[in-house]
Amino acid sequence: GLDATSFPQAMFSRPLIAATLAGWAFGRPGAGLLLGALVEIFSLVILPFGAARYPESGTAAAAAAAAYTATEHTGPPEPLLLLALVFALAWEQVAGASVIFTRRLNERLVPYGTSTRNFSARQVAQRHLLAMAIDFVRGGWAVVLGALIGVVLLRVFEGSLQASPGLSIGLILTATATMLGCALPLFGGFRQRWLSLGLGLLCGTLLLVLK
Amino acid sequence: MTVLPRRVLAATLLRSFAIQGSWNYRTLIGCGFAFALLPVLRTIYNGRPDEYQAAVQRHAAVFNSHPYLAPMALGAVSVLESSESPEVVERFKSAVRGSLGSLGDRLIWAGFRPLCVLLALSALMLGASWFFVTGGFLVLYNVGHVATRVWALRFGLRHGKRLGEQLRTVPVERVQHVMQSVGAFLLGTCLVLLLAGRPFTQETSLPWTLAGIVAAAIGMSFGARCRMPVVLAISAAALISLAVGVLA
Repeated sequence: GLDATSFPQAMFSRPLIAATLAGWAFGRPGAGLLLGALVEIFSLVILPFGAARYPESGTAAAAAAAAYTATEHTGPPEPLLLLALVFALAWEQVAGASVIFTRRLNERLVPYGTSTRNFSARQVAQRHLLAMAIDFVRGGWAVVLGALIGVVLLRVFEGSLQASPGLSIGLILTATATMLGCALPLFGGFRQRWLSLGLGLLCGTLLLVLK
Repeated sequence: MTVLPRRVLAATLLRSFAIQGSWNYRTLIGCGFAFALLPVLRTIYNGRPDEYQAAVQRHAAVFNSHPYLAPMALGAVSVLESSESPEVVERFKSAVRGSLGSLGDRLIWAGFRPLCVLLALSALMLGASWFFVTGGFLVLYNVGHVATRVWALRFGLRHGKRLGEQLRTVPVERVQHVMQSVGAFLLGTCLVLLLAGRPFTQETSLPWTLAGIVAAAIGMSFGARCRMPVVLAISAAALISLAVGVLA
C-alpha cells in the first residue's frame, strides 16, 4: 500500500510482485506469481493520472494471493484460481475506496490556505510523515483483512465451484486476452502500431514453435 | 546565490521519493514538495527563521507533478529560491506543474511501466522462474526509475528558470515512439503465448483460443472502457458457477 503512492514507488506494490511476495510467505511463490500475473494484466490499463480514482490492485493481489496459497484445494487448482482472481478484482475496489478515504483525511492534515500560517517547518514534516504512516497502516489492513476474508470465502466455496478446469482456464484466458488487447491503445492503438504488434505476434508464434 | 552542498541535494533527492506521501485532493503534492525542499530551504535561510518559515509556507501550497519528474522542479526551485523573488518562484511553479505532470504520465505511467510489466509477463510465459521474473522486473524498472529522478534533479539545477524552454529540447516524442513500438511488440508476443495457454497450461482447446482472439480484438477496439464489463462478466460467470454448485 505504502509503495503505490507514498514511498518509494519502486513497484513492490505491483500485483506481479505483491502477489509473489504473499505467495512466498505461504511457501508458494510460483502460485502467487501466477495469480499476480493475471491481476497485473487487468491492471495494465489503470493509469494514476492526476487526481484519477482507481482500484488498488496491488493490495488486492497480495490479499488474494495470500488466500489462494493458504487454501488447500481438494480438486483441480484452476477453479480456485478463477475464484481467487474474481476475489482480487472485487477487493481492489474496496482497497481503492480506502485510498480515497485516506486522501480525504490528508486534506485535514496538510496546511492549506490561511491555515498555512499556523504551520512551522517541523509541523509540515510531521504531518507529511503522519500521512505516510496512515497510508502504511491502511495498506497493511487492506492486505490482512482482505487475506482473512479471502481465506474464508475460498475455503467455503472451493468445493462448490462447478466450473471444470477447462472452463475455468477458458474464462480466465478470454478475460485476460481482452485486457491485453485493451492495453494496445496505451501504445498508440492498432492503426499506429499494427507493424510492431504484427511482429510481436510473429515472434510469439516463433517462440511457441521453437519451444 | 547560495551554493548548495551535495549532502543537501542528496537529502532533497531522497525525500523526493516520498513526495506523494501526503497526496490529497486540495493541495495535491504541495505538502510533499515543501517536505522534500526543507533541506534546501534550511540551508538558504540559515539564520533567518522568519524568511525560512515564510518559504516553507509558500511551498506547501498546491502543486502537482509526476513524482519521478518532481526533482526537476525541486532542482530549479533550489536555484531560484536564492536568486529570485518569491513571486517569480511562484509563477515558475505554476508554469511547469502541468507539463511535468503530463510528460511523466506519458513517458512513465503509460510508457516505461507497462513496457517493463509486459517484459516480465513474457518471461513468465516463456517459463522463467518466479525469482527471475520478479527480480528482473524490479531491477530493470528501478534502474530507470532512479536514473530518471537523478537526471531530473540535475536538469532542474542546471537550467533553473529556463527549465521550460530546455524541456522542449528533450526528444520526448522520439522516446515515446520507441517505447510505444517496443510495447506493442511485447504485447503481440504476450498475446500469442497467452492464447496458447501460457503460463497455466501447455495446450488450450481450439474454441477457447478462438474466443480469446475475438476477445483480444474487442479489447483493442474499445481500450480501457472494456475493463469494467470484463470484470463484471468474469465475476458473473464465477458466481453463476458457484450458485449452480451450491444448489446442486
